[in-house]
Amino acid sequence: MTSILIETNQLTKRYGEKLAVDQVSFTVHAGEIFGFLGPNGAGKTTTIKMIVGLLLPTTGQVKVTGYDVQKEPLQAKAASGYVPDTPHLYQKLSGRELLRFVGDLYGVGSAQISRRIDELLRLFDLEAAGEDTIDSYSHGMRQKTALAAALMHDPKVLVLDEPTVGLDPKSARLIKDILRQMANRGAAIFLSTHILEIAERMCDRIGIIDRGKLIAVGSMDELRLLGRGETSLEEIFLNLTGGAEYAEIAEVLQ
Amino acid sequence: MSLVAPPANRQIAGVWRSVGRLLRLRVLIWVGELRRASWKRKIGIGFLGLLLLAGLGFSSALSWFLLRILKSPEFTRLIGYQSGVLESIPVLIVTATFVGILMTSFGVLLQVLYLAGDMDFLLSAPIPTRAVFLFKLLQAILPNFSLTLLISLPVLFGLGVTTGYNWLYYPLVLILLSGLALAASGFSSLLVMVVVRVFPARRVAEVMGFLVGVLSFVCSQSGQFAKWADIAPERAGQVVRLTASLDTEWSPLAWGGRSLVYVGEGRWASGAGLFVLSLAFSLGIFLLALGAAERLYLSGWINVQAVRARRKHAGRTASVTSQAAPWAGIVEKSIPQALRGILVKDFLVLRRDLRNLSNLVMPFILGVVYTVVLLRSGGEAPLGRGEAPELFNQAIRNFMLYANVGISLFVSWSLVSRLALMSFSQESLSYWMLKSAPISTFQLLAGKFLVAYLPGLILGWGFVLVMYAVKPGGLGVLAFSLLVVALCNTGVAGINLAFGVTGANFTWDDPRRMAGGTSGCLGALISALYLALALLLFFGPVLYLPILGLPQFVAQLVGLGLGGSISLICMVVPLIVVRKRVPRLGEN
Repeated sequence: MTSILIETNQLTKRYGEKLAVDQVSFTVHAGEIFGFLGPNGAGKTTTIKMIVGLLLPTTGQVKVTGYDVQKEPLQAKAASGYVPDTPHLYQKLSGRELLRFVGDLYGVGSAQISRRIDELLRLFDLEAAGEDTIDSYSHGMRQKTALAAALMHDPKVLVLDEPTVGLDPKSARLIKDILRQMANRGAAIFLSTHILEIAERMCDRIGIIDRGKLIAVGSMDELRLLGRGETSLEEIFLNLTGGAEYAEIAEVLQ
Repeated sequence: MSLVAPPANRQIAGVWRSVGRLLRLRVLIWVGELRRASWKRKIGIGFLGLLLLAGLGFSSALSWFLLRILKSPEFTRLIGYQSGVLESIPVLIVTATFVGILMTSFGVLLQVLYLAGDMDFLLSAPIPTRAVFLFKLLQAILPNFSLTLLISLPVLFGLGVTTGYNWLYYPLVLILLSGLALAASGFSSLLVMVVVRVFPARRVAEVMGFLVGVLSFVCSQSGQFAKWADIAPERAGQVVRLTASLDTEWSPLAWGGRSLVYVGEGRWASGAGLFVLSLAFSLGIFLLALGAAERLYLSGWINVQAVRARRKHAGRTASVTSQAAPWAGIVEKSIPQALRGILVKDFLVLRRDLRNLSNLVMPFILGVVYTVVLLRSGGEAPLGRGEAPELFNQAIRNFMLYANVGISLFVSWSLVSRLALMSFSQESLSYWMLKSAPISTFQLLAGKFLVAYLPGLILGWGFVLVMYAVKPGGLGVLAFSLLVVALCNTGVAGINLAFGVTGANFTWDDPRRMAGGTSGCLGALISALYLALALLLFFGPVLYLPILGLPQFVAQLVGLGLGGSISLICMVVPLIVVRKRVPRLGEN
């Protein structure tokens, strides 16, 4: 039995009257890629932000590598890396400077920082742009820089919010390969995506959230058992989240 | 089937109809924003309107006063010259309006054509392309033109009234100024396109913000250097002659100005001829520039170079610890790694964003101005009529010994306040990087404190040392001054950093806004009050204990004890009060 690296327990977030996340509980094990799916506004990003300590839950608990994110935030954060959906990075730093800054924040040794920066820039094909300021980067380059920053301290837990949006096929493939390698080395990968094909191919287990509630969790086979005979993740997802009727509307419009 | 183009007059009518529709939409958006605005903003806009009316009143009164002076026989006697002075005023105003619109519309056109981000949307809509460009040019010049009219109309209309010009003079003033404004904006649009072809638009905006900020500040402070008592009548005469020299034969701007005078005086033929010539020249330039700008924009000519020029090299300034400088090891051992990271990152960002620099260079300019003023006065206490009691004179002499501290503190207070107030807001949308990192509230506050405190300390000490080098005093005075600057700034940084936490806004992108708002005002106000109290405690004993017979150095120690205590209290207490807010920052 592998160890649990991410654990949420009755996680709830309320913004005034609006319940963004409603008693969400799941676990992600070491060596596992966990896909987090849901329609727009379902509560995916809010859940992710609570996992990485950017948002305080209203009630409930999140543990990362066994540390409570609220009570032991430094230990939990030291073990995780995070890539947001929109990579807002410091525009006036170069890619190299940003990675050094992240290395300093996460306490990576000085000699190791330089070596790691060179490795990551080479890996993400950013060597030529490493000395340029980030405001000159394209969206894809920023996304890759954000991922490189998340990998600087070789985290045990990697949380990614829509990691392949805006990436060219080569970069998207690179990211998928990196995530699989990390999982093979024992890290837990938690990623949200709208691209169901990625989730179906890459993820060991999938969680589906709708209107703040986690409505299904399991492997593809387990999800198929939940449904009404659907075989693809798209059909399962649309049936669970109530989007199947849109297909009929689309037909009428044609 | 072939498409037939509509006749030219219908095309022109269509263009103007579309311009009208776009302007109406702009007004509707503005009205909608105003309607939805908070009461605070509505009151602010109302106040601004009243301020503009007051400005119009002031400008009218000033014009009337100046025209009376120019017409007075005393003025003629003083400068020994008057011929053509009044007649050259329209030429001066017309020239100033043209140059003013040319310069101010550059920034606005850069914004509306390249940074507003709506050009693609407008050009893809079923609106004539010409209408889009006309609308953008009008949008760029209307606010500046209105402001220019606030100054120029009272002068020109006042001149008409005092000189008894013909009634036709007044509408022609408006028509001519409008035509010139259009020509200036046309020129400006071409200039914008040429500049943007070489440099990225955003960078140009940053550089312009920096230059305009620094220049306007230098101009506002340059009055400190003037010796008003030394202004001789000959100099006033030179200025008047310089004004008259703008009225040259071959300047189209002079034709316009002179045509107004001729029409006003009833010299119809020459007046009408010059007026038509000037207006045709202005409109011709405008139409040519409009066509060229439109063509350059749509051909993609501007974007070619911009794409290549976009890459910006940051240089090798990775980290203090990565450099082999002899002090790097000391820094590495004395400052924890996370703090070091925050310091390096913030200093790089502050240095590279020119909008920051224009903000932060002000205290330095202010310091230089006041240092020069102090040194020029010799740093001696004014003697007055010599009737003041000796006790008071002694205290003043003691005070002048430490005048350098006053300037250093003023300069460093200004710098430290700004840096501390914007310390969290400057993280902007990138704050997630700090928030998701394993650093404690204490480390974060300590890092931000040092980012605000260290530049102020270096600047303050720099001023103390420079002034000491120029006008040496005792070593004890120097050591005391350095310690006072160091301690006082801890309190300034603590108070303003606390307000920086409470007023943190991560949606702001422009650093010039980050030290403003309610928190910014309160921070500046309370830290200024603290500074006054701290200075009283530092200098009270130093000024008065020696008079009571105690040695200077004992008085300095007492001052350091009292002032240092309040400084440290004001550094620590506000940060303790706000420390629980820090982990919640950026959640909204």
